[in-house]
Amino acid sequence: MKLKRQYFDVKDVVWDSKLEYKDEVLYLNKEEILKKIRPLMKNVTNVDLEIVKPGEDARIIHVLDTIQPMVKIEGSGKQYSGFFSHPKTIGEGITNVLRGFSIMESAPLPWDDGSASSGLLYPRDAIIDMTGPIKGFTPFSETINLVITYELVDGKSSEEYDNDIRLCGLKISEILAKLTVKNTPNEEETFSIDEINPDLPNVVLVWQCQNQGVYSNTYLYGHSIDNLVPTLLHPNEMLDGCIVSGNYVWPAFKVPTYLHVNHPILLELYKQHGKTINFKGVIFSRSHNPTNWHKERSANFCVKISKYLDADGLIMAWEGGGNAAVDGMLTIQQAENIGIKTSTITFEFGGKDGTEGVLLVDDVAEADAVISGGSIEKTYELPNVKRVIGGKYLRLNKESGGYFPPSNKSITFDTTTQFYCSGNQSGHSKLFGESY
Amino acid sequence: MGKLKAVYYINQFYAGIGGEEKADIGLMTFDEKKGPAIGIERFWQGEMEIVKVISCGDNFINNEDKFKSILPKIKKILKKVNPDVFIAGPAFNAGRYGVACAKLCDYVKRELGIESVTSMYYENPAVKMYVKNNYIVESAETSRGMKKVLPILSNLSLKLAKKENIGPARLEGYLPTGYRYNEYHDKTGAKRTVEILLKKLNNENYKTEVPLRGLEKVSPSKPFKDIENAKVALITTGGLVPKGNPDKLKQAFSVTYGKYNIGNLDSIKKDEYESIHGGYDTTIVNQDPNRLVPLDELRNLEKEGKIREIHGKFFTTCGIGTNVENSKQIGRKIVKDLEKENVDIAILTST
Repeated sequence: MKLKRQYFDVKDVVWDSKLEYKDEVLYLNKEEILKKIRPLMKNVTNVDLEIVKPGEDARIIHVLDTIQPMVKIEGSGKQYSGFFSHPKTIGEGITNVLRGFSIMESAPLPWDDGSASSGLLYPRDAIIDMTGPIKGFTPFSETINLVITYELVDGKSSEEYDNDIRLCGLKISEILAKLTVKNTPNEEETFSIDEINPDLPNVVLVWQCQNQGVYSNTYLYGHSIDNLVPTLLHPNEMLDGCIVSGNYVWPAFKVPTYLHVNHPILLELYKQHGKTINFKGVIFSRSHNPTNWHKERSANFCVKISKYLDADGLIMAWEGGGNAAVDGMLTIQQAENIGIKTSTITFEFGGKDGTEGVLLVDDVAEADAVISGGSIEKTYELPNVKRVIGGKYLRLNKESGGYFPPSNKSITFDTTTQFYCSGNQSGHSKLFGESY
Repeated sequence: MGKLKAVYYINQFYAGIGGEEKADIGLMTFDEKKGPAIGIERFWQGEMEIVKVISCGDNFINNEDKFKSILPKIKKILKKVNPDVFIAGPAFNAGRYGVACAKLCDYVKRELGIESVTSMYYENPAVKMYVKNNYIVESAETSRGMKKVLPILSNLSLKLAKKENIGPARLEGYLPTGYRYNEYHDKTGAKRTVEILLKKLNNENYKTEVPLRGLEKVSPSKPFKDIENAKVALITTGGLVPKGNPDKLKQAFSVTYGKYNIGNLDSIKKDEYESIHGGYDTTIVNQDPNRLVPLDELRNLEKEGKIREIHGKFFTTCGIGTNVENSKQIGRKIVKDLEKENVDIAILTST
């Protein structure tokens, strides 16, 4: 399987009367874009678009998912296969990627208990600051972002809101990526793991994603992964978008589609392929397995597939918090027990100064190579900002009745859980717990 | 400006007094340099000098009363000399020497406000006792590592003397104190996750960023074969207590346990017992306490002769948020009780 990614750099995005990509600039005609996606707006209304750029004194709130705009121009299937298409296997041919640019979805999903928002699994306000103290937590302070904001039609189901929001995002991503077609890419990169060097160790990535129902979901080829037992993916399938996020529960721990498609660990393994390792594939599994029995079965399947692939090493990475950590740690334990060496990355606790309580929500003695993604139990004061995209008020602490402070004002959080991608689950960021 | 000043602590061996046979010797002070104090100065290139060497026998200083008796003298010396830093060791993996170095450093820093630093092997028992509030430079296991550790110790001690900011453990060479703060690495998490796996695969040294908890492995005792002749006790961490919780056991973060008579009961009555556990839904237990402490079924086994007898009391605590040290203490006390009563088997039910 060979995939060529053609990167088209986006140095600027401007509103215009035309819709065009030229000389590294995206010219956007808002009306034309909205007209094209209008048939998809059945349960959402007043959809709007805003451009946010790196270095801006800006905050984006109610962030749901972020998408890498790309389009397949050669090879089987569509980008993000399974959405707007049959689930044809992707990962081969040529895909055009708008580099340095994202499509972001923002909406205040309802909190009523009749919907998917009951209990702890409700859409929590994910916050991005383009500058200031938390800028480094998210990859999107360094990309130009086209934020889609939605209002919701009253009385529709969680599934319906969720569906429209995602389809609009994916469609806009396609419309804009298609603008590259007649241009020359800034760079090309070919991805293949066909060639194996028998002298190098074999390594697999286990990528474990959240699934607990609507609003805390992950899609594989367009369908939710409930009931998924661990399965084997070619890394190119991920590069082409076989995994799409539908996870809005914990801002720190959710992994946007953009990072499934540009998975930092997967890309690192690709860099090492043929040099220091053979990258043998991605084992994709569901986290938040409901019982210990399911967890054990999942860990066993991950390790079984690794064994089939003759793996010497395994990287365990997961989306989500405590429940997922148990799944991940069990997998590490099973792998190490049969001699497959492992490493992993996770956020840590430790309180204000690192000395309070235990650092990890779960760990096993076999997990002896744990990279820190940073502590979530640290206090951060967000400054006043000039511009907010997504709404006038933050939506916080549903479990204690709700707290709705103005979104442009300074506010202090004593954990990082509201900050988008701050859990560093896929290793995108340099944030870590430094020990003194 | 004059040179910075350091005071250096070594044991009787490094002071050239003698080995084990001299370990009871008391406090000595020297104006001339001895042991590692000779080697370390050259790294400072004239910026700092050792103005006093003090020494004690390892046994002497590890006796708590004797240690206390010399503190006023040490305080007097240090007040007089007014050093910029106090250095002790390296003690490598020598237990008594390690504890002496660390507790002197701790005293000097805490009580006298003088910066201090020592050095030893990471498994030296003193590390666990003192590392949280003291700089302990990591050394090799034996004195063969002296050459390697002195430059690191000298560098950190000079920085401390100059009151410079001390960087993170991995860069300065001291053992992590447990304090951790969010910072930015020069490489992404993804890159480091791959790199550490490569090190493991290539059998190179690697260091986990999130430290291991060092969970102790508890080996199970040998299977008890003669069950018909066994005296069986019931223990629970599910918080079952007589109604009203007469001993005021804690609902969480337990520090103790209760034991209650079941000697003449066939089963535990729901009106008389309740669970006070703060971490699970206790409805079912409160409806039938025997589902937590299975006295009814065990009584049947006793009647059938499958076991000899049931111990007359059951033990109970709340297993929630209880730290490992308290858990161990509770466990040890219960075991003592069980041994005294010649219990052969214990059934522990958790929730």
